[in-house]
Amino acid sequence: MRDRIQEALKLSNADYTEIRIEERESTRISYRGRDLENANAVIDKGGVVRCLLRKHGWGVATFNNLDDLKNKVEQAYQCALVAQSDEPITLGSAEVIEEYIHADMQHDFRDVSMAAKKSLAENYNNIILGSNDKIIDTNSVYVDSFSHIYFANSEGTYIEEERPSVIVATSAIARDGDNVQQSHESYAGPFGFEFVQDRDDMPRTAARRAVELLSAKSVSGGQYPVVADQMLAGVFIHEAFGHLSESDFVYENPKAREMMVLGRRFGRDILNVYDDGTVPGQRGTHRYDDEGTPTRHNDLIKQGILVGRLHSRETAAKMGETVTGNARAINYRFPPIVRMTNTAIENGTTPFNDMIKDIKLGIYACDAYGGETMLENFSFSSGHAYMIRDGKVAEMVKDVILSGNLFTTLQNIDAIGNDFKWLTVGGGCGKANQVPLPVGMGAPHIRIQNVIIGGQ
Amino acid sequence: MDLMKELTRNAEQVEILNLQTETTTIMFEANQLKSSSVAQTRGTAVRVIRGGRMGFAASSDENAVMKLASNVLESASYGDSLDFKFPSSLPAQEVRTYDSKIMELSIPRLVEIGRNILDLILPVEPDARINLNIKRSVQSVKLRNQTGLDISFERSPLNFELEIDRIIGDDVLIIFDIMGTTEWIDDNLGFVGRLVEQLKMARRLTTMRSGNMPVLFSPFGALALALPLSQGLNGKNVYKGVSPMRGRVGEKLFDEKITLRDDGTLHGRPGSAPYDDEGIPHKRNVLVENGVLKGFIYDLRTAAKVGVESTGNAERGLFNQPEPSSTNFIFQPGKTSVKEMIASIDEGILVESLLGLGQGNIISGAFSNPLALAFKIEKGEIVGRVKDLSIAGNVYDLLKKVEAVSQEAEWVYGTFHAPYVLLPQMNVFTKE
Repeated sequence: MRDRIQEALKLSNADYTEIRIEERESTRISYRGRDLENANAVIDKGGVVRCLLRKHGWGVATFNNLDDLKNKVEQAYQCALVAQSDEPITLGSAEVIEEYIHADMQHDFRDVSMAAKKSLAENYNNIILGSNDKIIDTNSVYVDSFSHIYFANSEGTYIEEERPSVIVATSAIARDGDNVQQSHESYAGPFGFEFVQDRDDMPRTAARRAVELLSAKSVSGGQYPVVADQMLAGVFIHEAFGHLSESDFVYENPKAREMMVLGRRFGRDILNVYDDGTVPGQRGTHRYDDEGTPTRHNDLIKQGILVGRLHSRETAAKMGETVTGNARAINYRFPPIVRMTNTAIENGTTPFNDMIKDIKLGIYACDAYGGETMLENFSFSSGHAYMIRDGKVAEMVKDVILSGNLFTTLQNIDAIGNDFKWLTVGGGCGKANQVPLPVGMGAPHIRIQNVIIGGQ
Repeated sequence: MDLMKELTRNAEQVEILNLQTETTTIMFEANQLKSSSVAQTRGTAVRVIRGGRMGFAASSDENAVMKLASNVLESASYGDSLDFKFPSSLPAQEVRTYDSKIMELSIPRLVEIGRNILDLILPVEPDARINLNIKRSVQSVKLRNQTGLDISFERSPLNFELEIDRIIGDDVLIIFDIMGTTEWIDDNLGFVGRLVEQLKMARRLTTMRSGNMPVLFSPFGALALALPLSQGLNGKNVYKGVSPMRGRVGEKLFDEKITLRDDGTLHGRPGSAPYDDEGIPHKRNVLVENGVLKGFIYDLRTAAKVGVESTGNAERGLFNQPEPSSTNFIFQPGKTSVKEMIASIDEGILVESLLGLGQGNIISGAFSNPLALAFKIEKGEIVGRVKDLSIAGNVYDLLKKVEAVSQEAEWVYGTFHAPYVLLPQMNVFTKE
């Protein structure tokens, strides 16, 4: 493969050319209720050629047929000729890399039979089904995926990497009359089969919570102090802030550049946020990004001040900053774009009990159920939540949707917990049709003043 | 290896789907044509029923046919016990899905269309930053099964994905739309004019109070009402018992001004084709008629589970098994003009778009969303954009009483056709 790729690269007339080939095999088992809906394997093999003509722009060719790479290089070149960028495009400098990266799995899931994978998912599914007679439906999934990726560019870099991924996820759906509630739990990581075994707590938690939500009252809308758990805090910093620090959002947009100017105060001194593609064992971790740039620790907010952002080679050059190793693609069907790796709020000093003890009436919001951001405006639903009354966690409430302005909300974070953890959830991040990209998220508990909670 | 022959030796029923797509895309980023691409994808998905159990496998590697065959047979040994038959050939309506005019669009012509779109926006809105993808595809679908069914057809989707940002000081507005067609229309840039109109209207800002008031949903905004319903009408949620509408066919659940259809037979629409992805002819399915629930949408699997016939709503990608899905979802227009509707409102809002659609427990019908773009209506006139509003409610309660449905209707986001819908009373919250 290496020879074929490098031979095709030699023929390119573009200023820069890269080829990425991916061979992936994936197994999926899924139950919905008592039905086994999927127990299957898929094979996906294809490639992408990306060319840059400085005075024009990018040309991209993606394909499943690998027989004629040279022709695909020509096709990408022709595409690049079509582009008409206003200014010449340059790339941030990158060292030439040659490396083979092997997967590190204790128990390689490719050696595990379909029967064993099925019984793992079935066990988790049965735990939910058997837990309570109000459970009317489930969704229990096991997915593994093993990719072998070949990457080479016209500057001489050549990287081969194996990327394993394993996920188990369960949803429990409970009903009482017309009241239908659900709860979701998952585990995922770049590991072998061992990582998803012995997780019986996962379906038990999902089932218990779905049933508890049946008797929860809807929260009444208004402004509250909110304590977010690690999960919600992690998702919040990723969605509401992280995406704005992706430089493709600002590099062509003077107004957005103003909004995200380095040195601007984003939060109080206690707030530190970073993105780090090198953290061992996280879902967004890789030694190199999909342009062959080494990943690293990038501080984004330091003591409340915006100090950095995430780059591809193009955005780094355009903004006169250094590359950060954040150009990522979900698969060979897409060129890399600026993405987060593992994004986190750094650990603080406040114990959970100190955080809630002075709250007369507030909300303890846990888990993220979904969310959307539009520039500085965001809206998130928490999976489940509790009222905080007179300094204590009180009754469960449902339909808790947090919304607001990012800048005000970050300024309103007035306590950061001392209980940091990385989340090990499945799912992934979506951007420009590239979904789901595995990312890592981490945070301690955080307290935010004056959050707007939607309600009936 | 002849895959059909090989598999029919080993299984009672066999279905083979071949998909091939070539997509040409030109991408404008921040008003500049920064890249273009050509994507050629192809692959094979196979389902078998062996010993009464369903197996599935797929591959995009055409050299892996043996592996594909062994994967699908292995999958069947763990598969779901299912009592249904792949269909034999049934006559389908003629549905136009391919237009040589679209196929003949050269890349320079696509670039010219893109420039035309920019020219419609930038002279009026010089502060706008436009991201535009124009995608032209040719898709060929070939579906065979052991009964001798052998369907193939081609589609020529042309899609415009348009996002406009406008930032003036602290006033941020992002609007977008997707226009899709498989037939060339000479006047295909009407959707751009609508977005420009929104930008203009949004220049004037105003404020308002929280309270219970009439809310007018534009065709874009009406998606907030349609999304929970389309989930509730999905046969999968009916079979699973999670649809609030299960078991209520024949009951009047909504105001009589509400009629909803799913129609995959419309010429040239993105959701249209002569057949669904299991070889069942597409139909025009009336789901709600004058407020009365008429039926749900099903694929073969969910129909077999519920004990009804497939409605021709199977949809799948290469690597996934079919699921019931709406084709083109149509909210039938009514009798009132939009002008009359606005004129009838003393104090209320017009909802153009919402943030976070689809999040939360929407199968229950509940929603609670900040409004990305909304206008205040005062004494029968639109007086300006209001920021930081949000609305909440449950569509199953709200749609019991609808004040009016407009004559005018539009295609939004490609496959949803909707009128303006006026609800007499709804909770609107502002930040203060």
